[in-house]
Amino acid sequence: MIESLMLIDDEDLFHLVFEDACSLLDISLSLKTLKSSDEAARLFEEWHKFGTDGKPECVFVDLNLIGSSFDGIELIRKINFEFGNHVVIGIISSSNEPEEQSKALQAGAQFWIIKSDEIEPRLEEFKKDYSGYKSRTNPFKVYK
Amino acid sequence: MKLCKDTKKDLIRIFETKGIGLEGNILKIIDTTEDPNFHNYIESCKNKDNENRKKRLEITKQIQAKNKELETINEEKEVIMEQLKESLSEVEKAKEIAINDLDVLQKKKQTELIGSIVKIALGVIISVGIVTTFMYVISLIINKDTQMIGSTWANTLGILLTNAFSIIGTIMGVKYSSNNNKE
Repeated sequence: MIESLMLIDDEDLFHLVFEDACSLLDISLSLKTLKSSDEAARLFEEWHKFGTDGKPECVFVDLNLIGSSFDGIELIRKINFEFGNHVVIGIISSSNEPEEQSKALQAGAQFWIIKSDEIEPRLEEFKKDYSGYKSRTNPFKVYK
Repeated sequence: MKLCKDTKKDLIRIFETKGIGLEGNILKIIDTTEDPNFHNYIESCKNKDNENRKKRLEITKQIQAKNKELETINEEKEVIMEQLKESLSEVEKAKEIAINDLDVLQKKKQTELIGSIVKIALGVIISVGIVTTFMYVISLIINKDTQMIGSTWANTLGILLTNAFSIIGTIMGVKYSSNNNKE
């Protein structure tokens, strides 16, 4: 089980879906949800500067974050290259654009989960692969 | 996480009497290995929590689907409104062009009519002039009384001379106006 998860998504309803799905699938004990990439970047900057208390083990980022200064890929790039890395991080989005997936991979994303009505099977598959992401041995994977 | 015996008893009692149990991820970290009763209590709470979450998940997904449907309908509505606005604008432009064309056509017809009237009037005056002159000349040749025809001829010639410049001016004006319309 993942100790702590963070979801950054601008859609409130998806926060509830994700929380319930994670709980039912025993994916994580604790889940923090945020709506903007700015807030997430500020938190990661603080963890980078002042200590890692409360820092999540795994981060799911939506690709398009309405109301934020930058998108999910840029946030992943910031977390990986500016704020010290050390988290399993990837995209969770309804988009399935290979071009965007390639950009996410370059930014340091380890996975790409496609949102749909049936998110549970993809999260279950992700749960099985998680140890590989943590040890950085799994290649970038798209969960369709 | 380990709980003391009294707390466990209280939790079980509240669950049995009021149906209120623990919820959420706290259930996953409570140690139940030493107490079978408390283990059953935690399992019941977990089952209840899972059922509630399943229901909530189902409802949330339905709301999400409806929201998406509404978004799609709104987008379609906006596209239709945009198309309607464009159509309305095109119709207004076409109306303006038609009104302009009609105006030009009316002016052209009016100009043509004026031209025709002037030509006919000129034709009549000239014809009258020619006929009167012819009659006057014939009267002079055959030595008939020329008093009547002489004054008629003089009057006709006077009218022709008086109005000649005005008629020519009108014709020139009509021609100038026609040329402008063609341009």
